[in-house]
Amino acid sequence: MMILRREVPALLLGGLITARGAAKQPDGLDLAKKCDWALRGKTQIGQAAMTVHRPEWERTLEMGYWAVNPDKSFIRITAPAKERGTGTLRIGTNMWLYMPRVERTIKVPPSLMLQPWMGSDFTNDDLVRESSLVVDYTHTVSGEETVAGDDCWWLEATPKPDAPVVWGKQRLAVRKQDALPRRQEFYDERGRLRKVMDYDDIQRAGDRDYPMRWQMKPVDKKDRWTRLIYRKLVFDRKIPARIFTQQNLKKHF
Amino acid sequence: MLFLAMAWRNVWRHRRRSVLTVAAISLGLAFNIFMRGLGDGFHEQMVDNSVQSHIGHIQIHRAGYHDDPAITKTLPDPAAVRQAIEALPNLRGFSFRVLGDGLASSAENSAGVGVVGVTPDEESRVTTVHRAVVEGEYLDPGQHKPALIGARLAKLLQLSLGDSLVVLVQAADGSMGGEKYKITGIFRSGSPDLDRGMVYLLLRDAQSLFALEGRYTEATLLLNNSSGVAAAQAALTAHLAGDGVEVLPWYVVEPYIQQFIELDDAFFYVIVLILFIVISVGILNTILMSVFERVREFGVMMSLGMKPRQVIRLVVLEAALLAVVGILIGGAIGSAFTLYYASAGMDLASWAEGAAAIGMTSTVAYPKLTALNLGLSSLAVLFVVMLVSLYPAVHAARLRPVEAIRHV
Amino acid sequence: MALVEMEEVSKTYRDHVDVPALRDVTLHLEPGDFAAVVGPSGSGKTTLLNLAGALDQPDSGTIRIGGLDLTATPPDKLADFRLRRLGFVFQSFNLFPVLNVVENLEFVPALQGVPQRTRRAKAMALLQVVGMTDLAGKRPNELSGGQQQRVGVLRAILTEPDLVLADEPTANLDSTNASNLLDMMEQLNHEKGITFLFSTHDPQVMERARRLIRLKDGRVV
Repeated sequence: MMILRREVPALLLGGLITARGAAKQPDGLDLAKKCDWALRGKTQIGQAAMTVHRPEWERTLEMGYWAVNPDKSFIRITAPAKERGTGTLRIGTNMWLYMPRVERTIKVPPSLMLQPWMGSDFTNDDLVRESSLVVDYTHTVSGEETVAGDDCWWLEATPKPDAPVVWGKQRLAVRKQDALPRRQEFYDERGRLRKVMDYDDIQRAGDRDYPMRWQMKPVDKKDRWTRLIYRKLVFDRKIPARIFTQQNLKKHF
Repeated sequence: MLFLAMAWRNVWRHRRRSVLTVAAISLGLAFNIFMRGLGDGFHEQMVDNSVQSHIGHIQIHRAGYHDDPAITKTLPDPAAVRQAIEALPNLRGFSFRVLGDGLASSAENSAGVGVVGVTPDEESRVTTVHRAVVEGEYLDPGQHKPALIGARLAKLLQLSLGDSLVVLVQAADGSMGGEKYKITGIFRSGSPDLDRGMVYLLLRDAQSLFALEGRYTEATLLLNNSSGVAAAQAALTAHLAGDGVEVLPWYVVEPYIQQFIELDDAFFYVIVLILFIVISVGILNTILMSVFERVREFGVMMSLGMKPRQVIRLVVLEAALLAVVGILIGGAIGSAFTLYYASAGMDLASWAEGAAAIGMTSTVAYPKLTALNLGLSSLAVLFVVMLVSLYPAVHAARLRPVEAIRHV
Repeated sequence: MALVEMEEVSKTYRDHVDVPALRDVTLHLEPGDFAAVVGPSGSGKTTLLNLAGALDQPDSGTIRIGGLDLTATPPDKLADFRLRRLGFVFQSFNLFPVLNVVENLEFVPALQGVPQRTRRAKAMALLQVVGMTDLAGKRPNELSGGQQQRVGVLRAILTEPDLVLADEPTANLDSTNASNLLDMMEQLNHEKGITFLFSTHDPQVMERARRLIRLKDGRVV
């Protein structure tokens, strides 16, 4: 009797530990939604610096950024002087560009959606489809790995049959603890890896952890990358509707 | 000489039959010569059209530009390039340009375009855009930020003369470039690519837009005729060796033209082959019949001591004489037609749509007669006829004299 | 040495049935002979002439003409032999219709490589000898049967062959023309010593021959 009593708790404890260690793999869609929430929340307002690096030059743009997840965003460049006042407005899959020097608002035609945004390694399409990962793809969790020092799930996202996406597949390494992405891999329709985004420098931003440094790198080109560094970021504030208008693009500050 | 006379007279033993055969040969050859001439003329026009609409005979860029174009790739030593070009013997003109991609926009619409910055009078000695202006005027360096655009682009953007055209680009230093230009001219070249996709600016304006002060993307040049391209390319390559440039002839820049020509030629040869086969069957029949009619004669010849290979030579000689008559007549007819249309021109209006698709701006074709065309076609006919005659000739040579003499 | 030496020559034609045309024929001809091969139809006259004319090969036996063993000579050389050493007169006149009389005469010398001027002169001279120069420029279809055949004989002897073979030369001629033809052949035989071997079943011809070779069922009798 004595032996039994001592061993039962040990057995029970052992059972609990084993159960916890083999933590159940999360549902793919669930994980994708959590990741989207972690990165974008309901709204964002922030300031960031984007550095574009090429073999021949390197340029850094400072910008202000407003976004309502999933389908509205507004970016205004604040520096350097040549681009100051240039803005991008995105509503749904439509995008407008404004350049103060020519005083013209230009709607970006579909034929140019795959062109770089502001010369970076992000395309116009990338900006327009930020949240499409949840809506346009089906998801499975394919495994786990330690990525950039964090225990992560690998999320595989395959486009739905009629989804208007350019990628053949995406893979995301998301943190087990809070679904924050550490790495995102973009594959073309032939299954070749084309771009990789690394999410680093995780700091506290408001009520959550957030990667303050994003770096996008094309796989097959040397010495080219784009780095986004968030200087300030707040989540889930109410943003007035007038921000996401063409009039706002033209407003000089 | 006796055998030549014999062969000649043998040919005309059955006058009507031989006349018909000669007619078939000469018509076949005349057709061949004219069609080849039409093809050659058409191809030459295609090349000239294409070359003079934008690409020139030869283009020089920084090495690696053609495979991977980028606004940052500019000519490393433009002065050396200019010197090399000016040394060419049959030069008609050259133009130093800035080229890049941009977004052209109006209040109504925007479109991706190719921006071309040129020095207007240099450019007018290379391309024919200046002659295609339908509204307003060609670029004028005295104007402030003028733009020359194609009629299709104007329509797409709903712009007219005097309106503002905004062009946004990514400049060579990575910054976003954007400028407003005034539309001072609208052109219609007939080429859909140019009319819809090109915006011509003054060189200095393009250099400033792309942050390329003092630099050039390419030098393009036009020779007096396209036959000198290979030599000019070799001369330039030698002159500029080691200068980090690539010297590209038009058929590397726009291979589809050459590919089209080769495809067209291939089709032509297939048609000619079929034609030759058809004519050959007729000729074979004629010669075979003439051999069968002379079995006894061949028997006599070989009895008298003519060797089989001499019999073959006689029959083939007869066929060759037939062919020569046909060639002379057919060559004359074919040449006459070709030369006539070479100066009068042949209107191919019914194929106008296809012509526009491959960059032809006019529907009038001018066939071209070359000695090579004439000579090769004639030789081909002669060769085929003599080849075909071998079968009946060998048959005659294999006759046994003893049996042949008894032939009815 | 005889001009023509045939020893034990046999030839059989293989058709639906085997037809023995000549059986063990032994025959000698001397230079200058004016000989006729006679016999009923199918007796082998034509075969004998063909063999003597180097136009065919026997199945067994040997044939020598002017010392050359025909049975051991390849076809190309036989053609050459016929060209330079033999002459032929055919039953149906067999002149070349596209050539005129003098050109027909020039045919064999032309094959031999005799230059144009020489052969033309020889041909005209020969026509003169027989008084036929007015026919020189005429085409065969402008001549009578007798005239054509005489031209045929002239053609055969122009190059002074050792032996002339004539297969039924008078078969298509009337008796007057046949007589004239034989006169000519005799004259040439006499004056130039050309050996003639002809086949015939024309008694008029047989009469004029100085030697008769009778064939029956392929054998000499």
